[in-house]
Amino acid sequence: MEEIRIGVYICHCGFNIAGVVNVEEVAKYAATLPSVVISREYRYMCSDPGQDLIKNDIKKLGLNRVVVASCSPRMHEPTFRKAVADGGLNPYLYEHANIREHCSWVHDDKELATKKAKDLVRAAVKRVYRHEPLVVKEAPLNPNVLVVGGGIAGMQAALDIANGQNKVYLVERDPSIGGHMIQLDRTFPTLDCSECILTPKMSDVGHHPFIELFTYSEVEEVSGSIGNFKIKVRKKARHIDESKCIGCNVCEEKCPWKTDSEFEMGLAKRKAVYIPFAQAIPHLAVVDPNLCAYIKSDGKKCGACIKVCEAQAITPETLLKQTDQIVEFDVGTIIVATGYDQFDPSVIPQYGYGKYDNVLTGLHFERMTCAAGPTEGKILLKDGREPERIALVHCVGSRDQNYHEYCSRVCCMYALKYAHLAKELSKADVYQFYIDMRCFGEGYEEFYKRCSEEGVNFIRGKVAKITDETLTDEEKGKLVVVSEDTLLGKLVRVPVDMVILCSALEARSDAENVSRIFNLNRRADGFFLERHVKLDPVATPTDGIFIAGCCEGPRDIPDTVAQAEATAAKALSLISKGTITTEAAVSTVDESICHGCGRCEEICAFHAPKVASKNGTLVSSINETLCKGCGACAVVCPTGAISIKHFTQDEILAEVAALTEVS
Amino acid sequence: MNLEDIIQETKTYYCLECGKCTSICPVARYDSSFSPRQMIENALLGFGDELLLDRELFSCLTCYTCQKECPSDIDFPIFVRKARSMAQDNGQHGVCAHSGQLQSLARLMTSPTIKQKRLEWLSKEYRVSENSDVLLWVGCAPYFAPIFEDIEFNALDITKASLKTLNLLGIEPRLLPNERCCGHDALWTGDIETFKKLAEHNAAQIKEAGVKKIVFSCPEGYRTFKLDYPNYVDLRCEVLHISELLAEKIGENGVKFKEIKKKVTYQDPCRLGRHLGVYDAPRKVIESIPGIELVEMRHSGLESICCGTSAFTNCDSYSNMLRTERLCEATETGAELLITACPKCQTHFRCAMMDKGEEHRSTPKIEIMDLANLVANAIEK
Amino acid sequence: MAEFEPQIVAFCCNWCTYAAADLAGTSRVHYPPNVTIVRVMCSSMVNPIYVLKAFEGGADGVLVAGCHHTDCHYIDGPVKCDATVDKLRKVLHVLGLEDERLRRELVAASEGVVFARIIKEMVEQLKKIGPSPFKVKMEALA
Repeated sequence: MEEIRIGVYICHCGFNIAGVVNVEEVAKYAATLPSVVISREYRYMCSDPGQDLIKNDIKKLGLNRVVVASCSPRMHEPTFRKAVADGGLNPYLYEHANIREHCSWVHDDKELATKKAKDLVRAAVKRVYRHEPLVVKEAPLNPNVLVVGGGIAGMQAALDIANGQNKVYLVERDPSIGGHMIQLDRTFPTLDCSECILTPKMSDVGHHPFIELFTYSEVEEVSGSIGNFKIKVRKKARHIDESKCIGCNVCEEKCPWKTDSEFEMGLAKRKAVYIPFAQAIPHLAVVDPNLCAYIKSDGKKCGACIKVCEAQAITPETLLKQTDQIVEFDVGTIIVATGYDQFDPSVIPQYGYGKYDNVLTGLHFERMTCAAGPTEGKILLKDGREPERIALVHCVGSRDQNYHEYCSRVCCMYALKYAHLAKELSKADVYQFYIDMRCFGEGYEEFYKRCSEEGVNFIRGKVAKITDETLTDEEKGKLVVVSEDTLLGKLVRVPVDMVILCSALEARSDAENVSRIFNLNRRADGFFLERHVKLDPVATPTDGIFIAGCCEGPRDIPDTVAQAEATAAKALSLISKGTITTEAAVSTVDESICHGCGRCEEICAFHAPKVASKNGTLVSSINETLCKGCGACAVVCPTGAISIKHFTQDEILAEVAALTEVS
Repeated sequence: MNLEDIIQETKTYYCLECGKCTSICPVARYDSSFSPRQMIENALLGFGDELLLDRELFSCLTCYTCQKECPSDIDFPIFVRKARSMAQDNGQHGVCAHSGQLQSLARLMTSPTIKQKRLEWLSKEYRVSENSDVLLWVGCAPYFAPIFEDIEFNALDITKASLKTLNLLGIEPRLLPNERCCGHDALWTGDIETFKKLAEHNAAQIKEAGVKKIVFSCPEGYRTFKLDYPNYVDLRCEVLHISELLAEKIGENGVKFKEIKKKVTYQDPCRLGRHLGVYDAPRKVIESIPGIELVEMRHSGLESICCGTSAFTNCDSYSNMLRTERLCEATETGAELLITACPKCQTHFRCAMMDKGEEHRSTPKIEIMDLANLVANAIEK
Repeated sequence: MAEFEPQIVAFCCNWCTYAAADLAGTSRVHYPPNVTIVRVMCSSMVNPIYVLKAFEGGADGVLVAGCHHTDCHYIDGPVKCDATVDKLRKVLHVLGLEDERLRRELVAASEGVVFARIIKEMVEQLKKIGPSPFKVKMEALA
């Protein structure tokens, strides 16, 4: 075994250390420690001459370990590591003792501070003795990017990356991209038409030479790690020949089978073969195999679409024989932008959603006010009449211990928007039941002022119930909204014809499954967890996977777009560098000891250890690009197979033993 | 002390190099680099230094399978034990399982001024007496209980069952509140200094208590007190395993059991079986319970296979393979229940059965119970 | 007779508590020199054997300190550390060790003053309960 030769350097740091700690005494003491070949004290170790001392000693005295006792390592560890490397030694054969921030600056008794400095130096010497050289590895990064979700967030991220001439795979679950935003009518506060601002982006995405679009598809499997993810996508069968379909809609017209349209929130019907909406991209038909009589009867019934399709895109083969396809490809980074679900208010029976015909949610109202929607832009009750009075109810499922504690952020604004639209498109009186008015964004407060001047009745109070049990003649045939007007301090019963519930934005119902596929963590509120709320809001604990938009939490369109661009920037930054650096002080497994019990795999937050069969036995292997070196696996390993490089048990025990020695 | 002395003391120069030991050694069956014959040969040929620096020196389970078959009757486990003591002096101590916590606890227990809280589990339903001349040795159970919580094993269940059983036999034993670890693991891993200190503490307390008989539910404590303590301290006490006491009482027709209909099998602990020769007593106890059908594993009694780890040292993939093999033998008997008579055996078997990753492995699963718990469930007043 | 000065070994996580101790230094907030700090990357890196070894060496008290639960650089290190320390406490309890000797704290990087206060409190407490029962070592037998 090679002889260990340690050099110890005690820094005066001017008077910062030397004013309290007797640095000469500490240096003399260090020289007496085993394996210490040279021990010096100097005024400013971090200065060039100070660093030269180290470099020269390494070369002249054949040092193979170095200790510097000075300020906090959080300040100058990188400096001295570099000096050691410049001297020809591996930078990890270095240890740092903090005798300034942790000693001379906080203790006034010079004798005790000096004794403590000696203890800390002794501990550093015992620790550096056991250091091993470590190599910082670099691995190449695949420049392709996977974007999951074709809503505004996914599309924006995809476009930003593709515009940089990098290949993007965009996978969308629905038959068309557009997400929830394409369902919206006008967007606050400018009231521009959502479709008008979105469809150019959708078109860009559909035609972009660098975007490969998979619609009606879902990511089934993700393996690998940053720089090299292997993706498996299931492309669901549309039951048409995509190369032939020209999107003429004739099949949809002729199809006799109907069901509620998902896009129109059930306010209209769609057929078994359908194009989701007029601006759908790709503009292709899709057949619903649960509704199509031809498919369900195995070719015996109907078949109307086959007859009328001029392009011959629908045939008996496509209907009966076409199956899902599995597509595989590799990417280096992933952006997850899977969006949100609207909270289902039927779990709040007091609000009567699902019970009364004219209690709706926001998305219903969006479709109603849309000029191209099921009511051609007219606000109508179920029976076709125009409402005389409309109520808007804030905070349905939000800010509520019983459902979601969080605020959904956008509802106050869209409620104001609905109030304004109700005034614009009908003669109805509008009653807005709110707790607060959260108008935080650009132009939002101004919009609120504008709406309040339009004659909307604002009632501050959380609605207790919506009922058809009437007490007076005025209430007959109406829905009564019962609430307390907290500003006036009295109960109010407001009879209305239509109620719009500002439903919460919640995590998608399959968020659990998505989190498992992509190794994402979820917060307590159900949305995906960011790496750091303030300082790293689009990254996730899994390197190389980023999140954007409402899948991370409720947000409005400007914030969603900003976040999407942020994830694109993250991806582009990685692509620009082209390689990924692995952490040197990572976990490592001694395979002669490990028996693959799996406790490490279970406890790791970064999914770095994986138990697999190797040469007939089960062992754990650490993915060094994922490991962050936190040390949790080593604590739970029952056999001692796992250790953390640079923080091995032996060296920390040596440090602890040295600290409790008597100097 | 040097290796030459150890060779002389253990008469390993009689070794014929026949290889019988390696051929039946449970560790050698899986770990191709482990060979008792090779280790002795290296020592005899003067390569002792290499032997003492070799981690493999600590892989021996000291299970005594080799010694029972050795034509020259060489006590290989004692040879290993002495060699380990030298190895420790040279800084080699094997790979401690559980990060060496168990070993550290033993060392901490050598402090004379500690006031342990070992008996907080003792509730009013158990009867103990300061005047009894029978001592129930509690051992490491109060420490194992929190340490092995995650493998769902509470060693104190065995202690409580033993105490309940003794009570039902009309015995109200003494319990010592400040016992120290018996020192078994320290002794067998070569930490003689710690072992001696623990032995001194325990001997002094037993002398002060003035008891005449010590009952053990743990075969390691039993073996240590019976065979090892007399070399270091003055004990003057009869020591026995709870199964021996029960077998005696059953013989005197002093025990009544209720029926338990179960097919069971029994694991002979190395320390109770091959070390001390106690094979029949536990079997007599088990078979005395009406309704119990005892089926033997393929290897039982003298040929019984070790549970895979000794002294919480060098627990590795071979240990796991050995345990799995033994659990396979247990399930192959068709038994519903595996009876052990050693808390260490139970700990190791449970650990193997708690390994994660059902998709990777199929460790056979069987319900495990200590003999004391079986008896406590069956015994009637 | 000299007053008993307790010895404390503190395990502090790099990102939070070690930084807090640094901040106490830059702010010149004084505290007694009875503590020496071992830097770990995360409080979840603290293995029970480190604490036991500190007591074996004669430390009178051990501090295990890290980030608050929502601040951890490694997501849920504090939760893992809590589980480790809770289990260890049960073991130390059987050994008869006073509860105050093992202290678990959450100290953010901005809480330099809090760090100093914790050390001062610990020193005072340990002075009251006296030296660790493990300090007295048994003489080696012949």
